[in-house]
Amino acid sequence: MAETLTVTQLNNRVKSILAESSHVKDIWVMGEISNLTRAASGHYYFTLKDEICELKCIMFKTHRSRIDFEPEENMKVKVFGRADIYVQRGTYQFIIETMERSGVGELYIQFEKLKRELEAEGLFDDSRKKKLPPFPRTVGVVTSETGAVIHDIITTSAKLFPADILLAPAMVQGIGAGESIVRGIELLNRIGVDVMIVGRGGGSIEDLWAFNLEMVARAIAASEVPVISAVGHESDVTIADMVADARAPTPTGAAEMALPDPVSLMNILRGHEHRASKALTHKVAMMKSRLETLTIKSDPRRKLEDIGMLQITMDNLMSRADSALKSKVQFMRSRYNVADSKISPRAAKTEIKSLGESLNSYSERLKLAIKRIIKDSNSKAEALGKRADALNPLGVLTRGYSYVTDSQGNTLTSAKALSEGSVIDVRFRDGSAEAEVKKVKNNG
Amino acid sequence: MDDEVKNMSFEESITALEELVNELESGSLDLDKSLELYERATALRNRCKEILEESERRVQKIMETSKGVETSELTFE
Repeated sequence: MAETLTVTQLNNRVKSILAESSHVKDIWVMGEISNLTRAASGHYYFTLKDEICELKCIMFKTHRSRIDFEPEENMKVKVFGRADIYVQRGTYQFIIETMERSGVGELYIQFEKLKRELEAEGLFDDSRKKKLPPFPRTVGVVTSETGAVIHDIITTSAKLFPADILLAPAMVQGIGAGESIVRGIELLNRIGVDVMIVGRGGGSIEDLWAFNLEMVARAIAASEVPVISAVGHESDVTIADMVADARAPTPTGAAEMALPDPVSLMNILRGHEHRASKALTHKVAMMKSRLETLTIKSDPRRKLEDIGMLQITMDNLMSRADSALKSKVQFMRSRYNVADSKISPRAAKTEIKSLGESLNSYSERLKLAIKRIIKDSNSKAEALGKRADALNPLGVLTRGYSYVTDSQGNTLTSAKALSEGSVIDVRFRDGSAEAEVKKVKNNG
Repeated sequence: MDDEVKNMSFEESITALEELVNELESGSLDLDKSLELYERATALRNRCKEILEESERRVQKIMETSKGVETSELTFE
């Protein structure tokens, strides 16, 4: 007759079978960590798994000091210990005595080998890197649909040169990630975006591994569309980063690399605008002075008609120039209104500051010009004063000259106005004398 | 703005604008031609400005399915 046991008896029996079997103790087991919990007691609990099976594991606090890294979710490890039964629950588990990260050394060897190969092929050469387009209309992105990467790119690009974003969602870690990223890069090439960002957020070397795969490196190298890589943190350099046309430290950095800053473009536009209106103003001034010269040189009776025609043309041109310049002022106004609402407060502040500075410099220049005009007119007035002094008859009289008037006080300048017996006044600086003409002598 | 300028991309507009400004500055043009260029420069600058001030950006995702390539709006919760 078959034996009848209590649950406790069976569980204890299985426990001792396991304990006696050399097949399930002092062995290494490899797999990937999931459902990791670090209990308050300091013990670690997690599930070790491979593609098919799972194994419950415990690492007691006392063994923690034997490992020199912090276990993490998805980490590939090799654990050493024994299989056991937790009798109270009848569950099978693995008691870990020590643990190693697995594959890191292997991954490193693979990484170095691929790096050497691709480098020898010239895939990292600057000469084959494509230039990023200055003003893209569509930016493609190959990354996970759910990660922070696409979110950061969308948020950042909203403040940059307006371009559409086209995401080709891809798995960025785990089995099939490489193929998924390659498909994304190829799809965006077929659709024809202007530039693309390929990347993912930070993680362990295993998490980033897809970006160290040869197929991904080759897809980036073959891409007609320039590729900006943004993989992990700045310290993680992947093969994808080395092949990409440009490497960004973060997704935000990648968006900033792909799209120019509208504030600096506005500045460039303002520069062009300034140069154009300066050239036009100069042209108008030159034309005006030429017209004035013409007016002076021309015989008024003969050229009157020509000048009239010229003036009409000139008036037309001036009014066109005037309205052109007026619309420029309007544009400036509207731009600052727009700037107010669109540009970030910091950028707007800088713009306003620079506008203020240019206004200051204008007013400085205006002041200088006025000073110069005043100075000019002062020295002119002084010169005029001297000339006026020279003409003042009193000034002459002090030098010993006198002048002659008739009895009505009119100045006499010709001997012909006199005859014998005429009564004249001879005027000195300090008085006059009445005199009678005795004889008139005309010269010639 | 004439239709030709209206359909220009930012790159086309700013390149044309740069060329016009250089031409204007060369000083060899008569006033009438200068004004014509200035007016065109103004139109080009307005076009650049219009593009820069465009606030609408399409955010889409593209997927390859058995039916072919499908594009849809990308939204976040």
